[in-house]
Amino acid sequence: MNADPQKKPRARKRLFILGAVILALLAVNVAVPRRQAQPLLSARTLKDLAELATIEYSVTKIVSYKDVAWYGDRKILFETAATVKAGIDLNELADQDIKLEGDSGVTVSLPQPKILLFNMKPEQMREIFNESGVLRSNFSNEEKDGLLSQGEIDIRAKVATMDILQRAARNARILIESWLKKMGFTAVRVVFKEKRGRR
Amino acid sequence: MKKIISFLNLIALLAILLLLYSPLAKIGLLPSLSSLLRGGTPKIEDTPVIIQQVKNIAQMFTQTFYDEYVYDTGVIRTPLFNANKRLIFIAKGEVISGFDLSELNEKSIIRRDKSIVVKLPPARILDVIINPSGFETFIEVGQITFEESKKFHEDARRIFDRNAREKGILKNSAEQGRQMLEKFFRLLGFESVDIIIPDSR
Repeated sequence: MNADPQKKPRARKRLFILGAVILALLAVNVAVPRRQAQPLLSARTLKDLAELATIEYSVTKIVSYKDVAWYGDRKILFETAATVKAGIDLNELADQDIKLEGDSGVTVSLPQPKILLFNMKPEQMREIFNESGVLRSNFSNEEKDGLLSQGEIDIRAKVATMDILQRAARNARILIESWLKKMGFTAVRVVFKEKRGRR
Repeated sequence: MKKIISFLNLIALLAILLLLYSPLAKIGLLPSLSSLLRGGTPKIEDTPVIIQQVKNIAQMFTQTFYDEYVYDTGVIRTPLFNANKRLIFIAKGEVISGFDLSELNEKSIIRRDKSIVVKLPPARILDVIINPSGFETFIEVGQITFEESKKFHEDARRIFDRNAREKGILKNSAEQGRQMLEKFFRLLGFESVDIIIPDSR
Protein backbone atom coordinates (compact mmCIF):
# COMPACT_ATOMS: atom_id res chain seq x y z
CA MET A 1 0.00 0.00 0.00
CA ASN A 2 2.78 2.46 -0.72
CA ALA A 3 1.00 4.29 -3.50
CA ASP A 4 2.64 7.40 -4.81
CA PRO A 5 1.40 10.18 -2.49
CA GLN A 6 1.64 12.65 -5.40
CA LYS A 7 -0.69 10.54 -7.60
CA LYS A 8 -3.82 11.13 -5.52
CA PRO A 9 -3.82 14.94 -5.75
CA ARG A 10 -3.00 14.65 -9.45
CA ALA A 11 -5.99 12.37 -10.04
CA ARG A 12 -8.21 14.74 -8.09
CA LYS A 13 -6.85 17.66 -10.09
CA ARG A 14 -7.67 15.85 -13.32
CA LEU A 15 -11.18 15.15 -12.08
CA PHE A 16 -11.57 18.80 -11.18
CA ILE A 17 -10.44 19.88 -14.67
CA LEU A 18 -12.85 17.40 -16.28
CA GLY A 19 -15.67 18.76 -14.12
CA ALA A 20 -14.84 22.28 -15.28
CA VAL A 21 -14.82 21.16 -18.93
CA ILE A 22 -18.25 19.52 -18.44
CA LEU A 23 -19.66 22.71 -16.97
CA ALA A 24 -18.25 24.76 -19.85
CA LEU A 25 -19.72 22.35 -22.42
CA LEU A 26 -23.09 22.40 -20.63
CA ALA A 27 -23.08 26.17 -20.97
CA VAL A 28 -22.31 25.84 -24.73
CA ASN A 29 -25.16 23.31 -25.10
CA VAL A 30 -27.63 25.65 -23.49
CA ALA A 31 -26.42 28.56 -25.59
CA VAL A 32 -26.58 26.75 -28.99
CA PRO A 33 -30.12 27.15 -30.37
CA ARG A 34 -31.88 24.21 -32.00
CA ARG A 35 -31.96 24.45 -35.80
CA GLN A 36 -35.28 25.82 -36.98
CA ALA A 37 -36.96 24.77 -40.21
CA GLN A 38 -37.09 27.53 -42.80
CA PRO A 39 -40.65 28.81 -43.24
CA LEU A 40 -42.16 28.37 -46.70
CA LEU A 41 -42.32 31.66 -48.51
CA SER A 42 -44.62 30.44 -51.24
CA ALA A 43 -47.60 29.81 -48.95
CA ARG A 44 -51.00 31.26 -49.91
CA THR A 45 -50.18 32.41 -53.41
CA LEU A 46 -51.99 32.29 -56.71
CA LYS A 47 -49.90 31.58 -59.80
CA ASP A 48 -50.75 31.50 -63.49
CA LEU A 49 -50.49 28.21 -65.34
CA ALA A 50 -50.81 27.30 -68.99
CA GLU A 51 -50.90 23.53 -69.10
CA LEU A 52 -52.90 21.11 -71.17
CA ALA A 53 -53.47 17.73 -69.52
CA THR A 54 -54.32 15.02 -72.03
CA ILE A 55 -54.07 11.75 -70.10
CA GLU A 56 -55.04 10.57 -66.64
CA TYR A 57 -53.74 7.37 -65.02
CA SER A 58 -55.44 5.94 -61.96
CA VAL A 59 -53.10 3.58 -60.14
CA THR A 60 -53.12 1.59 -56.90
CA LYS A 61 -50.39 0.28 -54.64
CA ILE A 62 -50.25 -1.77 -51.47
CA VAL A 63 -47.98 -0.10 -48.92
CA SER A 64 -46.72 -2.64 -46.40
CA TYR A 65 -44.23 -2.43 -43.58
CA LYS A 66 -42.96 -5.06 -41.14
CA ASP A 67 -40.90 -4.14 -38.10
CA VAL A 68 -39.67 -7.47 -36.77
CA ALA A 69 -37.88 -7.59 -33.39
CA TRP A 70 -37.20 -10.30 -30.79
CA TYR A 71 -39.47 -8.52 -28.30
CA GLY A 72 -42.43 -8.34 -30.70
CA ASP A 73 -43.42 -7.33 -34.22
CA ARG A 74 -45.28 -4.41 -35.71
CA LYS A 75 -46.99 -4.82 -39.05
CA ILE A 76 -49.11 -2.48 -41.12
CA LEU A 77 -50.73 -2.65 -44.55
CA PHE A 78 -52.42 0.11 -46.56
CA GLU A 79 -54.23 0.17 -49.86
CA THR A 80 -53.44 3.43 -51.63
CA ALA A 81 -54.48 5.03 -54.90
CA ALA A 82 -53.19 7.93 -56.94
CA THR A 83 -54.22 9.95 -59.95
CA VAL A 84 -51.51 11.13 -62.31
CA LYS A 85 -52.14 13.60 -65.12
CA ALA A 86 -49.70 14.30 -67.92
CA GLY A 87 -49.69 16.71 -70.81
CA ILE A 88 -47.88 19.70 -72.22
CA ASP A 89 -46.79 22.99 -70.72
CA LEU A 90 -48.04 25.66 -73.10
CA ASN A 91 -45.76 28.23 -71.46
CA GLU A 92 -42.98 26.55 -73.39
CA LEU A 93 -44.79 27.28 -76.65
CA ALA A 94 -43.00 30.18 -78.37
CA ASP A 95 -44.32 32.41 -81.17
CA GLN A 96 -42.07 30.69 -83.74
CA ASP A 97 -43.58 27.30 -82.83
CA ILE A 98 -46.73 28.14 -84.83
CA LYS A 99 -46.08 28.44 -88.56
CA LEU A 100 -48.87 29.39 -90.92
CA GLU A 101 -48.77 28.05 -94.48
CA GLY A 102 -51.24 30.05 -96.49
CA ASP A 103 -54.80 30.46 -95.26
CA SER A 104 -55.51 26.82 -94.50
CA GLY A 105 -52.22 25.24 -93.51
CA VAL A 106 -50.49 25.29 -90.13
CA THR A 107 -47.60 23.52 -88.36
CA VAL A 108 -47.49 23.54 -84.56
CA SER A 109 -44.36 22.43 -82.68
CA LEU A 110 -45.40 21.33 -79.20
CA PRO A 111 -43.09 20.97 -76.20
CA GLN A 112 -42.33 17.46 -74.93
CA PRO A 113 -45.06 16.13 -72.59
CA LYS A 114 -44.46 15.82 -68.88
CA ILE A 115 -46.23 14.75 -65.70
CA LEU A 116 -48.26 17.75 -64.60
CA LEU A 117 -50.09 16.55 -61.53
CA PHE A 118 -49.88 13.82 -58.91
CA ASN A 119 -52.73 13.39 -56.45
CA MET A 120 -53.12 10.83 -53.65
CA LYS A 121 -56.54 11.48 -52.20
CA PRO A 122 -57.05 10.47 -48.55
CA GLU A 123 -60.54 9.13 -49.28
CA GLN A 124 -58.98 6.54 -51.61
CA MET A 125 -56.66 5.15 -48.93
CA ARG A 126 -57.52 2.29 -46.62
CA GLU A 127 -55.76 0.73 -43.66
CA ILE A 128 -56.17 -3.00 -44.20
CA PHE A 129 -54.08 -4.42 -41.37
CA ASN A 130 -52.42 -2.95 -38.29
CA GLU A 131 -50.96 -5.04 -35.48
CA SER A 132 -48.36 -4.39 -32.80
CA GLY A 133 -46.89 -6.81 -30.25
CA VAL A 134 -47.64 -6.37 -26.55
CA LEU A 135 -44.25 -4.83 -25.88
CA ARG A 136 -44.35 -2.61 -28.96
CA SER A 137 -45.95 0.79 -29.38
CA ASN A 138 -48.76 1.28 -31.86
CA PHE A 139 -48.04 3.04 -35.15
CA SER A 140 -48.40 6.77 -34.63
CA ASN A 141 -50.08 9.08 -37.11
CA GLU A 142 -46.66 10.52 -37.95
CA GLU A 143 -45.24 7.07 -38.70
CA LYS A 144 -48.21 6.22 -40.92
CA ASP A 145 -47.76 9.48 -42.86
CA GLY A 146 -44.06 8.63 -43.23
CA LEU A 147 -44.84 5.20 -44.67
CA LEU A 148 -47.47 6.60 -47.03
CA SER A 149 -44.98 9.25 -48.17
CA GLN A 150 -42.60 6.45 -49.12
CA GLY A 151 -45.47 4.86 -51.05
CA GLU A 152 -45.98 8.20 -52.80
CA ILE A 153 -42.30 8.38 -53.83
CA ASP A 154 -42.49 4.82 -55.15
CA ILE A 155 -45.66 5.47 -57.18
CA ARG A 156 -44.13 8.64 -58.68
CA ALA A 157 -41.01 6.72 -59.70
CA LYS A 158 -42.88 3.75 -61.16
CA VAL A 159 -45.46 5.83 -63.06
CA ALA A 160 -42.62 7.80 -64.67
CA THR A 161 -41.36 4.55 -66.23
CA MET A 162 -44.79 3.69 -67.68
CA ASP A 163 -46.00 4.83 -71.11
CA ILE A 164 -47.88 7.83 -69.72
CA LEU A 165 -45.78 10.42 -71.58
CA GLN A 166 -46.12 8.66 -74.95
CA ARG A 167 -49.88 8.51 -74.49
CA ALA A 168 -49.96 12.16 -73.40
CA ALA A 169 -48.09 13.15 -76.56
CA ARG A 170 -50.39 11.11 -78.79
CA ASN A 171 -53.51 12.61 -77.21
CA ALA A 172 -52.12 16.15 -77.37
CA ARG A 173 -51.48 15.70 -81.08
CA ILE A 174 -55.02 14.35 -81.71
CA LEU A 175 -56.59 17.13 -79.62
CA ILE A 176 -54.71 20.04 -81.23
CA GLU A 177 -55.26 18.62 -84.71
CA SER A 178 -59.01 18.28 -84.15
CA TRP A 179 -59.31 21.83 -82.75
CA LEU A 180 -57.35 23.31 -85.64
CA LYS A 181 -59.54 21.43 -88.11
CA LYS A 182 -62.65 22.74 -86.35
CA MET A 183 -61.21 26.24 -86.84
CA GLY A 184 -61.09 25.67 -90.56
CA PHE A 185 -57.47 24.61 -91.18
CA THR A 186 -57.31 21.78 -93.66
CA ALA A 187 -53.56 21.01 -93.70
CA VAL A 188 -52.59 20.55 -90.08
CA ARG A 189 -49.23 19.25 -88.84
CA VAL A 190 -48.46 18.79 -85.17
CA VAL A 191 -44.89 17.89 -84.25
CA PHE A 192 -42.96 17.71 -80.98
CA LYS A 193 -39.84 19.69 -80.24
CA GLU A 194 -36.59 17.79 -79.71
CA LYS A 195 -35.97 16.54 -76.17
CA ARG A 196 -33.66 18.80 -74.26
CA GLY A 197 -31.17 17.61 -71.64
CA ARG A 198 -32.32 16.79 -68.12
CA ARG A 199 -33.14 19.85 -66.10
CA MET B 1 -10.43 5.23 -3.73
CA LYS B 2 -8.20 5.05 -6.80
CA LYS B 3 -10.75 2.89 -8.59
CA ILE B 4 -13.55 5.31 -7.79
CA ILE B 5 -11.56 8.24 -9.15
CA SER B 6 -10.73 6.30 -12.36
CA PHE B 7 -14.40 5.44 -12.76
CA LEU B 8 -15.40 9.06 -12.23
CA ASN B 9 -12.80 10.10 -14.81
CA LEU B 10 -14.30 7.67 -17.31
CA ILE B 11 -17.82 8.96 -16.65
CA ALA B 12 -16.58 12.53 -17.02
CA LEU B 13 -14.92 11.72 -20.35
CA LEU B 14 -18.13 10.11 -21.63
CA ALA B 15 -20.13 13.14 -20.51
CA ILE B 16 -17.67 15.40 -22.37
CA LEU B 17 -18.06 13.35 -25.54
CA LEU B 18 -21.85 13.57 -25.30
CA LEU B 19 -21.74 17.28 -24.64
CA LEU B 20 -19.44 17.80 -27.62
CA TYR B 21 -21.81 15.79 -29.85
CA SER B 22 -25.00 17.45 -28.70
CA PRO B 23 -24.46 21.04 -30.02
CA LEU B 24 -23.30 19.64 -33.37
CA ALA B 25 -26.49 17.56 -33.56
CA LYS B 26 -28.55 20.59 -32.57
CA ILE B 27 -27.29 22.66 -35.47
CA GLY B 28 -27.81 19.72 -37.83
CA LEU B 29 -24.20 18.79 -38.56
CA LEU B 30 -24.67 15.34 -37.00
CA PRO B 31 -27.77 13.12 -36.62
CA SER B 32 -29.57 13.44 -33.30
CA LEU B 33 -28.87 10.86 -30.60
CA SER B 34 -32.49 9.74 -30.53
CA SER B 35 -32.44 9.04 -34.27
CA LEU B 36 -29.22 7.02 -33.85
CA LEU B 37 -30.86 4.87 -31.17
CA ARG B 38 -34.05 4.47 -33.20
CA GLY B 39 -32.12 3.05 -36.15
CA GLY B 40 -32.64 3.94 -39.80
CA THR B 41 -35.84 5.20 -41.40
CA PRO B 42 -38.37 2.36 -41.77
CA LYS B 43 -38.46 1.10 -45.34
CA ILE B 44 -41.67 -0.11 -46.95
CA GLU B 45 -41.67 -3.33 -48.94
CA ASP B 46 -41.33 -3.22 -52.71
CA THR B 47 -44.80 -3.79 -54.15
CA PRO B 48 -46.02 -3.17 -57.70
CA VAL B 49 -47.98 -0.14 -58.89
CA ILE B 50 -51.05 -1.33 -60.75
CA ILE B 51 -52.84 0.70 -63.43
CA GLN B 52 -56.57 0.66 -62.75
CA GLN B 53 -57.74 3.08 -65.41
CA VAL B 54 -56.38 5.14 -68.28
CA LYS B 55 -58.56 8.06 -69.31
CA ASN B 56 -58.12 10.47 -72.20
CA ILE B 57 -58.76 13.98 -70.91
CA ALA B 58 -58.60 17.55 -72.18
CA GLN B 59 -58.11 19.81 -69.20
CA MET B 60 -56.50 23.21 -69.36
CA PHE B 61 -54.86 24.23 -66.07
CA THR B 62 -54.74 28.00 -65.82
CA GLN B 63 -54.28 28.75 -62.15
CA THR B 64 -52.70 27.19 -59.07
CA PHE B 65 -53.06 28.18 -55.45
CA TYR B 66 -50.38 27.08 -53.00
CA ASP B 67 -51.50 26.87 -49.40
CA GLU B 68 -50.18 25.90 -46.02
CA TYR B 69 -52.59 25.35 -43.15
CA VAL B 70 -52.23 24.41 -39.49
CA TYR B 71 -55.04 22.03 -38.63
CA ASP B 72 -55.93 21.57 -34.95
CA THR B 73 -58.54 18.97 -34.04
CA GLY B 74 -58.82 20.41 -30.53
CA VAL B 75 -59.10 18.07 -27.56
CA ILE B 76 -61.24 15.09 -28.53
CA ARG B 77 -63.00 13.80 -25.40
CA THR B 78 -63.07 10.03 -25.16
CA PRO B 79 -65.10 7.75 -22.85
CA LEU B 80 -64.08 7.38 -19.22
CA PHE B 81 -60.70 5.66 -18.58
CA ASN B 82 -59.51 6.48 -22.11
CA ALA B 83 -57.00 9.24 -22.69
CA ASN B 84 -58.23 12.31 -24.56
CA LYS B 85 -56.89 12.79 -28.09
CA ARG B 86 -55.56 15.72 -30.03
CA LEU B 87 -53.85 16.10 -33.38
CA ILE B 88 -52.20 19.20 -34.81
CA PHE B 89 -50.71 18.90 -38.27
CA ILE B 90 -49.44 21.19 -41.00
CA ALA B 91 -50.92 20.57 -44.44
CA LYS B 92 -49.12 21.82 -47.56
CA GLY B 93 -50.58 21.50 -51.01
CA GLU B 94 -52.17 23.18 -53.98
CA VAL B 95 -55.46 23.76 -55.71
CA ILE B 96 -55.55 23.61 -59.52
CA SER B 97 -58.24 25.29 -61.54
CA GLY B 98 -58.99 25.66 -65.21
CA PHE B 99 -61.28 24.37 -67.93
CA ASP B 100 -62.53 20.97 -68.93
CA LEU B 101 -62.18 21.27 -72.69
CA SER B 102 -63.88 17.92 -73.30
CA GLU B 103 -67.11 19.89 -72.80
CA LEU B 104 -66.42 21.81 -76.06
CA ASN B 105 -68.55 20.78 -79.05
CA GLU B 106 -69.06 21.77 -82.68
CA LYS B 107 -71.01 24.85 -81.67
CA SER B 108 -68.28 26.05 -79.26
CA ILE B 109 -65.99 27.32 -82.04
CA ILE B 110 -67.37 29.71 -84.68
CA ARG B 111 -65.04 30.97 -87.40
CA ARG B 112 -65.76 33.72 -89.92
CA ASP B 113 -62.76 34.60 -92.10
CA LYS B 114 -60.21 36.24 -89.79
CA SER B 115 -62.45 36.31 -86.74
CA ILE B 116 -63.19 33.56 -84.26
CA VAL B 117 -65.57 33.12 -81.34
CA VAL B 118 -64.85 30.41 -78.74
CA LYS B 119 -67.35 29.53 -76.04
CA LEU B 120 -65.58 27.91 -73.09
CA PRO B 121 -67.24 26.12 -70.17
CA PRO B 122 -66.99 27.96 -66.83
CA ALA B 123 -63.64 27.80 -65.01
CA ARG B 124 -63.71 25.32 -62.17
CA ILE B 125 -61.53 23.72 -59.56
CA LEU B 126 -60.07 20.62 -61.16
CA ASP B 127 -57.94 19.19 -58.35
CA VAL B 128 -57.15 19.76 -54.69
CA ILE B 129 -53.82 18.14 -53.90
CA ILE B 130 -52.38 17.38 -50.49
CA ASN B 131 -50.26 14.27 -50.86
CA PRO B 132 -49.01 12.24 -47.86
CA SER B 133 -45.67 14.09 -48.07
CA GLY B 134 -47.63 17.32 -47.59
CA PHE B 135 -48.77 16.37 -44.09
CA GLU B 136 -46.50 17.06 -41.15
CA THR B 137 -47.61 15.98 -37.68
CA PHE B 138 -46.84 18.62 -35.09
CA ILE B 139 -48.59 17.33 -31.96
CA GLU B 140 -50.17 13.93 -31.49
CA VAL B 141 -51.82 13.02 -28.21
CA GLY B 142 -53.62 9.71 -27.71
CA GLN B 143 -54.26 7.04 -30.29
CA ILE B 144 -55.64 8.63 -33.47
CA THR B 145 -57.06 5.96 -35.77
CA PHE B 146 -56.40 5.96 -39.51
CA GLU B 147 -60.08 6.63 -40.25
CA GLU B 148 -60.04 9.67 -37.92
CA SER B 149 -56.84 10.98 -39.48
CA LYS B 150 -58.32 10.49 -42.98
CA LYS B 151 -61.36 12.54 -41.97
CA PHE B 152 -59.11 15.40 -40.80
CA HIS B 153 -57.06 15.23 -44.00
CA GLU B 154 -60.24 15.39 -46.10
CA ASP B 155 -61.35 18.36 -44.04
CA ALA B 156 -58.01 20.09 -44.72
CA ARG B 157 -58.63 19.58 -48.45
CA ARG B 158 -62.04 21.26 -48.12
CA ILE B 159 -60.37 24.18 -46.34
CA PHE B 160 -57.85 24.50 -49.20
CA ASP B 161 -60.72 24.52 -51.70
CA ARG B 162 -62.54 27.23 -49.73
CA ASN B 163 -59.39 29.36 -49.29
CA ALA B 164 -58.65 29.16 -53.02
CA ARG B 165 -62.18 30.30 -53.90
CA GLU B 166 -61.95 33.14 -51.40
CA LYS B 167 -58.65 34.23 -52.98
CA GLY B 168 -60.44 34.47 -56.34
CA ILE B 169 -58.93 31.45 -58.07
CA LEU B 170 -61.88 31.02 -60.46
CA LYS B 171 -61.91 34.66 -61.58
CA ASN B 172 -58.14 34.60 -62.15
CA SER B 173 -58.43 31.27 -63.86
CA ALA B 174 -60.99 32.58 -66.34
CA GLU B 175 -58.88 35.65 -67.06
CA GLN B 176 -55.69 33.65 -67.59
CA GLY B 177 -57.56 31.20 -69.86
CA ARG B 178 -58.92 34.09 -71.92
CA GLN B 179 -55.46 35.68 -72.32
CA MET B 180 -53.81 32.38 -73.14
CA LEU B 181 -56.31 31.40 -75.84
CA GLU B 182 -56.41 34.91 -77.29
CA LYS B 183 -52.63 34.82 -77.75
CA PHE B 184 -52.83 31.35 -79.29
CA PHE B 185 -55.54 32.31 -81.78
CA ARG B 186 -53.77 35.52 -82.76
CA LEU B 187 -50.66 33.45 -83.50
CA LEU B 188 -52.88 31.35 -85.77
CA GLY B 189 -53.60 34.47 -87.79
CA PHE B 190 -57.00 35.54 -86.41
CA GLU B 191 -57.45 39.28 -86.20
CA SER B 192 -60.56 39.29 -84.06
CA VAL B 193 -60.76 36.83 -81.16
CA ASP B 194 -63.73 36.62 -78.81
CA ILE B 195 -63.51 34.21 -75.89
CA ILE B 196 -66.81 33.76 -74.06
CA ILE B 197 -66.54 32.34 -70.54
CA PRO B 198 -69.65 32.03 -68.36
CA ASP B 199 -69.29 33.01 -64.69
CA SER B 200 -68.25 30.21 -62.37
CA ARG B 201 -70.54 29.32 -59.51
